[in-house]
Amino acid sequence: MSKVRPVFGAAAMAAIFALWHGGSSAQMNHQHASEAACEETLLRCASKVTPAFGRDGALWLVWMAGGQISVASSKDEGKSFSSPVQVTRENLNLDWGPDARPKIAVDREGRIALAFSIFRDKAFNGQVLTTQSTDGGKSFAPLRPITSNNESQRFEAIAFKPDGTVFAAWLDKRNRVPARESGTPYDGAALFFATSKDGNSTYSDAQLAADNTCECCRLGLALDGGGHPVIVFRNIFEGGIRDHAVVTFNDPASPGEIHRVSRDDWQIAACPHHGPSLSISPNGTYHVAWYTNGKARKGLFYARSTDGGKTFSDPLPIGAPGRSPSRPQIIAGPDGLMMVWKEFDGERTEIKLMTSRDDGASWSTSRSIASTTDSSDHPLLVSDSRRVYLSWMTKADGYRFQPIESEP
Amino acid sequence: MKRKLFAGLLLLGTLSATAIAEEAELKSFERGSWQQILHSHAGRPTLVHFWGVTCGPCKIELPQLRHFMKDHPGIDVVTISADLVPNLPEATQSMLQKAGLSSAENWMFSDGFADRLRFEIDPTWQGDIPRTMLIAREGTVTTIEGAAEMSELDKWAQGQAATTGSR
Repeated sequence: MSKVRPVFGAAAMAAIFALWHGGSSAQMNHQHASEAACEETLLRCASKVTPAFGRDGALWLVWMAGGQISVASSKDEGKSFSSPVQVTRENLNLDWGPDARPKIAVDREGRIALAFSIFRDKAFNGQVLTTQSTDGGKSFAPLRPITSNNESQRFEAIAFKPDGTVFAAWLDKRNRVPARESGTPYDGAALFFATSKDGNSTYSDAQLAADNTCECCRLGLALDGGGHPVIVFRNIFEGGIRDHAVVTFNDPASPGEIHRVSRDDWQIAACPHHGPSLSISPNGTYHVAWYTNGKARKGLFYARSTDGGKTFSDPLPIGAPGRSPSRPQIIAGPDGLMMVWKEFDGERTEIKLMTSRDDGASWSTSRSIASTTDSSDHPLLVSDSRRVYLSWMTKADGYRFQPIESEP
Repeated sequence: MKRKLFAGLLLLGTLSATAIAEEAELKSFERGSWQQILHSHAGRPTLVHFWGVTCGPCKIELPQLRHFMKDHPGIDVVTISADLVPNLPEATQSMLQKAGLSSAENWMFSDGFADRLRFEIDPTWQGDIPRTMLIAREGTVTTIEGAAEMSELDKWAQGQAATTGSR
């Protein structure tokens, strides 16, 4: 049986199109398709950059560029950086999906914990790797898997608890195996967690927090005032509804009850790759921003909980609906709440900002604080306890780190 | 220009013939490709399926499209890999081949600025896959988010066949 069809007509059309456009669309062009500005391991070639402040005021960045993970620090608010230290050595197939990024956490003593995902096989099964530095970022320990289990893991999140324990959570597909063996369907993945008492070197056995979560969205992780981890994640509720849920951990790290953040009613058997953002203000209010395309509402939304995540306020729509608002990030900073997100008009991506000085009860109008005309990473917010900064990697304009001025 | 064009066509013809014999031909989906697809299928009922190799639900749906193609020869089938983990032409070709879709019209996002490509297709689409667009003979577009029910696709295809009476 021959698969050959007379497609020369279509091919010829493509060739004419390619020549007219002066391009080479006949063949895949890797260089052309890159989200990054260059192929080296330098910061300006990065597609993903994640910031964290140390207690001493140093800014730490971890980034993905040239197929490697690198780290550098800045003592002048991002104006200049130390020589990068490359954390990965071999050519790993890094998870560079839109909601994946290397994670960094710095503790009180200046220990640096890193975590990131790779695709460990051709079927795109993920693996979460961790490493740490105890010499102020000069060197990093050999990479270790976060769990000995070999089923797919992705979308890790890490944080140092006040006692120096590292809390890690990720999406894990191990529970698909017994389901498959018993012939029962299993939707999505599961939220797993573990802790490390030795600064990210070795982890406790992985434990289950929730089964049947969405398998392809970043987690929102924050610690409450008592150092309890809180995770917001896209869950799969009954009927295949991929709405958001929240879980607060008790001590010792055991997951509490799971509560629903919002009834968006997004029934979809698909990978949105668009996870939530969570921040907790000093008085304990949970602030969540998320994306949905549900029957009840579509777009970006914000809600808060003043009872530890049991109930949430009515979702507040964010951004201009005609400009595909996306990638929300929220932070409770020294001057109140700040929220950023992307808007896109078909050519230009803008970062919009909104602020609240009353713990999320009311918000300012939005204003543009940055823009770019090519691909870009998600806008991230980071605070050094004095100010909040926007951290944003762009292909056309390089890495941007800018203080956010408070509303007058 | 004429000579350049001819050389280009010749080269492309050779490449395509070799590629099809062994694996799925993959066209580069770039700025303007969407309009090109709409234009080249204008007046013909067309199913456009967006998928990606790293998308779990896509792995189940993709092979089902082969049966759709076989059952509905009057419908043009176009696949577009819009995977959110970019730059995977080999894996994409391999999955298309395994799914029996080598003979469909297969494209793959190949611009680092995927937001812009998606915006050209549907400004409200944030990138979730799978996603299927059913373009009727007269141009009406029906978008199915997530995995499509094959019975729904069959029903639409039958409806399209009925609109002409000739298949």
